[in-house]
Amino acid sequence: MSAAPQQLPLLVVGAGISGITTALEAAEAGRKVVLVEREPYVGGRITRTHHYFPKMCPPSCGLEINTRRLERNTNVRVCVNAEVTAARRTDTGWSVTLRHQPAYVNELCTACGACSPVCPAEVADPFNLGLARVKAIRLAHGNAWPRRFTLDRAACPAGCRACVDACTYQAIDLDAQAHEETLEVGAVVVTTGWSPYPLEKLPELRGGLDQDVIANVHMERLASPGGPTAGKILRPSDGTAPKRVAFVQCAGSRDVNHLPYCSAVCCLASLKQAVYVKEQLPDAEVTIYYIDRRAPGRNEDVLTRVAAMEGVRLVKGKVGKIARTNGVLKLKVEDVERGVLSEAEADLVVLATGMVSNLKLQAPPFGVLLDEDGFGLPGHDLGLSVAGVARRPEDVAASVRDATGAAARAIAATGRRG
Amino acid sequence: MAAIPALLPSTAFRDQLRRRGGESAARCYQCATCSSVCELAPAARPFPRRQMLLAQWGMADQLAADPAVWLCHQCNDCTVRCPRDARPGDVLGAVRSLAIEKLAFPGFLGKLVGAARLTWPLLLALPVLFWVTLLGLTGRLTPPAGLEAGWAYDALVPHSFIYAVYFPVAAWVILASWVAGRRFWTALGASGPRSGSFLGNLMPALVEVATHKRFGSCGAARPRKLGHLTLLWGFVGAAVTSGLLIVGMYIQHLPMPLALDHPYKILGNVSAGLLIVGAAILVGNRLGDRKAAGASSAFDTFFLSVVVLVIATGMVVELARLAHAPSFALSSYILHLGFVLCLFLTFPYSKFAHMLYRTLAMVHARMAGLEKR
Repeated sequence: MSAAPQQLPLLVVGAGISGITTALEAAEAGRKVVLVEREPYVGGRITRTHHYFPKMCPPSCGLEINTRRLERNTNVRVCVNAEVTAARRTDTGWSVTLRHQPAYVNELCTACGACSPVCPAEVADPFNLGLARVKAIRLAHGNAWPRRFTLDRAACPAGCRACVDACTYQAIDLDAQAHEETLEVGAVVVTTGWSPYPLEKLPELRGGLDQDVIANVHMERLASPGGPTAGKILRPSDGTAPKRVAFVQCAGSRDVNHLPYCSAVCCLASLKQAVYVKEQLPDAEVTIYYIDRRAPGRNEDVLTRVAAMEGVRLVKGKVGKIARTNGVLKLKVEDVERGVLSEAEADLVVLATGMVSNLKLQAPPFGVLLDEDGFGLPGHDLGLSVAGVARRPEDVAASVRDATGAAARAIAATGRRG
Repeated sequence: MAAIPALLPSTAFRDQLRRRGGESAARCYQCATCSSVCELAPAARPFPRRQMLLAQWGMADQLAADPAVWLCHQCNDCTVRCPRDARPGDVLGAVRSLAIEKLAFPGFLGKLVGAARLTWPLLLALPVLFWVTLLGLTGRLTPPAGLEAGWAYDALVPHSFIYAVYFPVAAWVILASWVAGRRFWTALGASGPRSGSFLGNLMPALVEVATHKRFGSCGAARPRKLGHLTLLWGFVGAAVTSGLLIVGMYIQHLPMPLALDHPYKILGNVSAGLLIVGAAILVGNRLGDRKAAGASSAFDTFFLSVVVLVIATGMVVELARLAHAPSFALSSYILHLGFVLCLFLTFPYSKFAHMLYRTLAMVHARMAGLEKR
């Protein structure tokens, strides 16, 4: 006789803020939960964010509370470095195959840091979106949890065992193998989140062609104390502080040639980043070029506050072209309210790029129905839910509410049967 | 206190615009990408973002008096980049076709050609029928017997017939264009102050027409610029050839038809070559990338078709004479004369009129300080 469904664990795919929330809500309601994450740490996109809007506080604080909850709660099993490779519907829920990536650094690691200094290999830091270089063996980022080093094995020089020799905890196994595991679960919640729209797709705005044309996600790293500049907002090209910073809203968003939808967070993200700039560089001139200023609810307070700041201008008009002429970035834009074309100069340009659903890029094998933009549709099957940005572009607060709802749905799915 | 001018939107104008291929205007959300990517927009009064708004609201009078509508060369850089696929290039094309109709003198001819989607068979057939009737009544529907090799078209249709028809037609077209052009010039004047002399600013505008320098700064429409310029110079060459032939016949008393290696003949055939190449590029461009080429309305297609028919029948006429096929030559010639008549008569009312309005708009832009950024 198969296990009654309410005894089967729930599976949450993706341990960003949505997945963590769903997992904790279900676990704290007494359910067993398996939380799967392909990165070596939990937290997803918010770990790369300097401050949340509208409160302008660091996400690390809330994330720490959440990882404590995960640590304490014996109902949750967290699997980092793991992906779902196969899934099959069963009478009681799902039969799921998990692939665990090789554990080159295992749970014996104490994050003592003896390995990194002896490592001879460097790679572009994926956590800092390539803005810095890091050792092949490293802590993925300052607040990484589980607090365990990670190794980019492909970067290792042939025959090198420097880290193994340096490790006094036998925590490193260069020959570790991937392994698969089959799990029976009662219900699945997909919280796979998003990826930033690639800058390279915006060559007319010099995206991908110019070091000083960055995306909003890069600005979060520049402003973050754990970032490549230790929190100093500097131009990537020459490391100087920018005097004129331009934000280009809807860069590749609400655009049939790119992402046709509004990503819902970029207006507030740019307003927030304008504050980063003005707090560090009070004399800097900040200009935000927009089509519409979308700041619903209490976010409107941020808009009002930033719009009133000295040295911050909000100009209605989408930037159509950016060129570098005589070494200076020039933005072509019509100032719609004044009805004139301007060619504005900037030292640093931030493209407010949108969110691409990871379900569109690489969907886990549950057969989630997607809308025309690649976001997951809720569907009628209570045993399969989608929450957070995997479902639609939304901010952290909305994702958390959504994820809580998904936990309730998954609990209902397993409670109803058996 | 100054009175606030009343806005007078016209739903009728919006409906007309929709029928002329401007229905995509409704999708515009005024982001202004179009104005910022336009290479022709003057910095002080950019387009086409504002014109898209006027089109959405149905502000017919503002659009009729707006030089921007004509400064646009429909290169479609804006359409290619428009995030809403609102196709500003096509919308302004539709606005221009309505402007031609609105400014036309007399109005009913503007409406007749404006409705080319329905009236095109009539517009093409009537001028041909006119020639058939004229030649029928004078007993010239068959070639005279005993034509010897080396005959000229004068033997089929005397030159006097040609002059009797085309000189009055040309006079009429000039009159109709003059009246419509004056209307447009007056409307433009109301849009802003002008300074300087008309003639002084006409010359640089004509140089621009002859070189297509502005058209060349457009990105998406490079092939169209080449085709358009080639076609323009083909027409200029054909017109010059016609003038030279009159000189040749009545002053130099040259024997007709001219030999193929006579300079006038060479000029004529080179012009014909330019016309064929230009028309082929334009037609090919329309059949290619639809977004960059812009949508084809019946109004556009009618004009381009008449041009192609004139060129094609012109070529056949020359070849038929060289092949010594008088009957075939005469029927081709009648078609050719009819299509040329159609091209002339519809000049002030078809897309052909852009030559008049765009030139005037460029002169106005110079006089009103609306030069490029």
